[in-house]
Amino acid sequence: MRAEPSDGDLVTMTLRGNSEAFATLVERYDRAVYHLAYRTLHDVEEARDATQEAFFKAFRSLRTFKPEAKFSTWIFAITYHACCDRLSRRKHYSGDELPERADPTPGPEQRVIALDEASRLRAAIDALPEKYRTVVTLFHLQGRQYEEIATVLGLPMGTVKTHLFRAKEQLRRLLGEMEVTES
Amino acid sequence: MNMDDRYGADALERAILELPLEETPEGLRTSILMATAYRPAPAFSFFELAVVGSLGAVALWLIVLLVMGGGSLFVHTLATIGAGLSRALSNPAILAWIAAGGATALWVSLFTGSQPAVAASRRSERRAGR
Repeated sequence: MRAEPSDGDLVTMTLRGNSEAFATLVERYDRAVYHLAYRTLHDVEEARDATQEAFFKAFRSLRTFKPEAKFSTWIFAITYHACCDRLSRRKHYSGDELPERADPTPGPEQRVIALDEASRLRAAIDALPEKYRTVVTLFHLQGRQYEEIATVLGLPMGTVKTHLFRAKEQLRRLLGEMEVTES
Repeated sequence: MNMDDRYGADALERAILELPLEETPEGLRTSILMATAYRPAPAFSFFELAVVGSLGAVALWLIVLLVMGGGSLFVHTLATIGAGLSRALSNPAILAWIAAGGATALWVSLFTGSQPAVAASRRSERRAGR
């Protein structure tokens, strides 16, 4: 049985002209990239465009990809920057503390109706400030790889850990509030 | 189960990690692939377009000369261009600048996405071979 080629191998194969290799990379990461874009932008069309833009930029600059790096971290960083550009274009993106997004969807209080745990947790994540939400989304996508998350966001690892700690505190509080409202 | 058990640090981390990913919109993968790996090769490369465009411009200029000044002006202009070209190409400084420009263009092309074009041309070759 043949082992699946690694992401690094697929990058090398793409650079040698094998377009199927890049298609495999897209298959591996399009859902995660879209997830990150959607969780950051909260707009299906914009998330779709940001996902396309991220893969297009990755394809165009594949030669600059360092073989020792992780492709997931690289594509997530490109996606994150594409999302930041879109957020700044919306003019809702300023300074350290980002305002709550202008999202027409109901806030956590209204989402209490959501029955399952996953929906409730997602609603609580949505209610987090932008910087915490992004860290939690990347934690979801990359697991406990704090260094990778720090690379994507361009932040020191300590800051990432602090953001994640505070995000989890806020999540617990929000989930608790939801539980109280529900009962 | 109380809140502390359900949303304790470990349980919360597990819950986050187990959240399902968002479903991608229909056709997203196809549109990504059509914009990247399966992008149709352009009918003409940039270089080909530049050469054809330059030759077209020169031809147009010569036609205008012929129409406006007749045969003598045309011959005189061609002779002037020929003399200018031979003078330029026999000047080592000009040749050195041309070489430097060519080398820079080649070097810059290595960093500006020449790879997708290569992939696209190989793909079209494969398709043509089918």
